[in-house]
Amino acid sequence: MKTAEVPYAADAELSLSFDELQVLRTQYEKELAQSHVTTQTKFNYAWGLVKSPIREHQVEGVQLLADIYRSEPKRRRECLYYLALGHYKMGNFDEARSFNSRLLEREPTNLQAQSLDSLIDTALKREGYVGMAIAGGAAAVGTLLLAGLIRRATRK
Amino acid sequence: MAPTQELINVKLLLIGNSSVGKSSLLLRFSDKQWLPEDEASATIGVDFRVHKMEVKGRKVKMSIWDTAGQERFRTITASYYRGAQGVILVYDVSNRESFEALPRWLEELENYVPPEVVKIVVGNKLDKEYSRQVPTTEGASFAQRTGCLFVEASAKTAVGVTEAFSDVVARIIDTPALWGDEKPKASSSKARAAAPRAPESMPGNIDLSQAHDEEEEGGCAC
Repeated sequence: MKTAEVPYAADAELSLSFDELQVLRTQYEKELAQSHVTTQTKFNYAWGLVKSPIREHQVEGVQLLADIYRSEPKRRRECLYYLALGHYKMGNFDEARSFNSRLLEREPTNLQAQSLDSLIDTALKREGYVGMAIAGGAAAVGTLLLAGLIRRATRK
Repeated sequence: MAPTQELINVKLLLIGNSSVGKSSLLLRFSDKQWLPEDEASATIGVDFRVHKMEVKGRKVKMSIWDTAGQERFRTITASYYRGAQGVILVYDVSNRESFEALPRWLEELENYVPPEVVKIVVGNKLDKEYSRQVPTTEGASFAQRTGCLFVEASAKTAVGVTEAFSDVVARIIDTPALWGDEKPKASSSKARAAAPRAPESMPGNIDLSQAHDEEEEGGCAC
């Protein structure tokens, strides 16, 4: 498989420049001040935030997307996708999986969702290995401690 | 100029109305696959693929950005225009409207890429000959008038698909202006909007090139 070298989550990985994000934020805040924010403006800003390398931005972006998901049924598919991407980027792989699975339920042949799914898989596996390594390490340390205790006990 | 031995990186862009088959062309080209219309889903934002092939005896690594045609993704997709060396403008030969939208797509492109960027007009869905709405000659003459290459193709039958991509790359290799004076490390964002112009934004869609215009006016060196 060539998936390995292809950054299929490219849209989440490339961030906007400060100025570009600022354009989206300004528009959003302007509409917020007029107390009517269009879905388009909110979505654009949320997307810019999710792409950002700054964690607070990502969190805010995901919150906005969740809002849009609830209020705009027509926008659900892209919200699910970007919610999954956002959580994937933040390392919340279980949330990423759950949003992406909902998209896959609706569109089983969606190639973007399929490739994101395999990215999440890989990330979860990696996390599993790390978890095992930590658990393994802890077990090894435990054994040493125990052996030490036993040795000390038997020496008496 | 593009050197002979090195791997050349090329950034390509697929644009055009929704449902004309941009993703299908890419899927046919890179994976030799085809999804029937009822199984294909509209692209969300952008999709991305890397494909390697040899063109004019050079090894080329193509980074291909496949953009959503739907209006509501315009801000997202336009943010990927900058730095492209080749653009594939797709219409559906059985859908007149998609052909008539091409001038608007070209206009939007001008906001983001310099004029020397290689463009090809691709009339997709050639397999739907029976319901053709745009004659070949009309597509060809539009392409000629606007300085684009032209090919008709079918992602379904694979006709014309490889040509569409390799023709663009061949022309890119032959266009020294696209390589600057450096080695073609490509996808460098050297390509800047030729002339910042007031964009005719779609309702609610924001033109991110504004950010760059302001940058120039403000002259902030901080």
